Amino acid sequence: MGFDLAALLGLFGLTSAFALVALVLAGWMCWRIAEKAGLPGWTGAGAILLTLTGIGSFISLILLWVFAFMRWPRDGLAVATAAPAAPGASPGGAPTPPAALPPPPRALPDRRGWTLSGGGVTLAFDESRAAYTLTGEASGGSDELVVSDLSVGRPHARLLTAAGRIGLQDLGSPGGTYIDGARLLPEHGPRDITAVRTIKLGNVELALSRT
Amino acid sequence: MMTVIGWLIGLGVFALMAILVVHVLFALLLIVPSWRIFERAGFSGLLSLFHLVPVIGPFIVMAILAFSDWPSGEGRPRPAQP
Repeated sequence: MGFDLAALLGLFGLTSAFALVALVLAGWMCWRIAEKAGLPGWTGAGAILLTLTGIGSFISLILLWVFAFMRWPRDGLAVATAAPAAPGASPGGAPTPPAALPPPPRALPDRRGWTLSGGGVTLAFDESRAAYTLTGEASGGSDELVVSDLSVGRPHARLLTAAGRIGLQDLGSPGGTYIDGARLLPEHGPRDITAVRTIKLGNVELALSRT
Repeated sequence: MMTVIGWLIGLGVFALMAILVVHVLFALLLIVPSWRIFERAGFSGLLSLFHLVPVIGPFIVMAILAFSDWPSGEGRPRPAQP
């Protein structure tokens, strides 16, 4: 039986039990990754199973590149969620009213305020307002948090507060918005940044802490 | 005798360098798309450099993406929290 199993595995190019375990593990992980991107899980596992074929390794590599640069269904969900606020960055136009932060998974009991500091700027805010506008130049709005720098848009991003959590939404400024080094795009919609350490607006890096 | 040993050492170093260059080139084919995937998931793209780890590098990358919560959101709902 052991010999038969080895022969069967050999037909599929699996030369050891280690290879079989690695294949199953990779298939399972790719199933989860595909689901997180909004795709059916079998697409991820199927891409791994393709390595069982003669030219499968190349096909899997091509599929990896396609997956990296294709439009993920998850992004569509984010746009749909943030649709009311998406046009807020229209150049020259007044920002649209901010969308409410989507219901958080769990309200936090800690209701202290927040501080953004860095680049010679210290901004304090709390939940007295549901939304703040991060901008490079004051335009008279009472909800504005001003970061005076040429790389910061006017407006640049929106901060949302709800249930002890804060969210950040990029408004499409050319300088870019980053959460712990990862780029936040307008199509991502509002993202929970309660647990992050730094955000970056253009060239200005701001550390997030509780007041 | 010394000449033969010198040749063998030279050949070994050459083979090692060739293997290293091929490994890095192949890893680059994986690092570039993985960098993009990590950034879209909300992580730092630098995590894709785990592909440089021989043999288990791709598994480390897949495990990070598969078993951690994506900071920029996921396509499927997370399990309800108590």
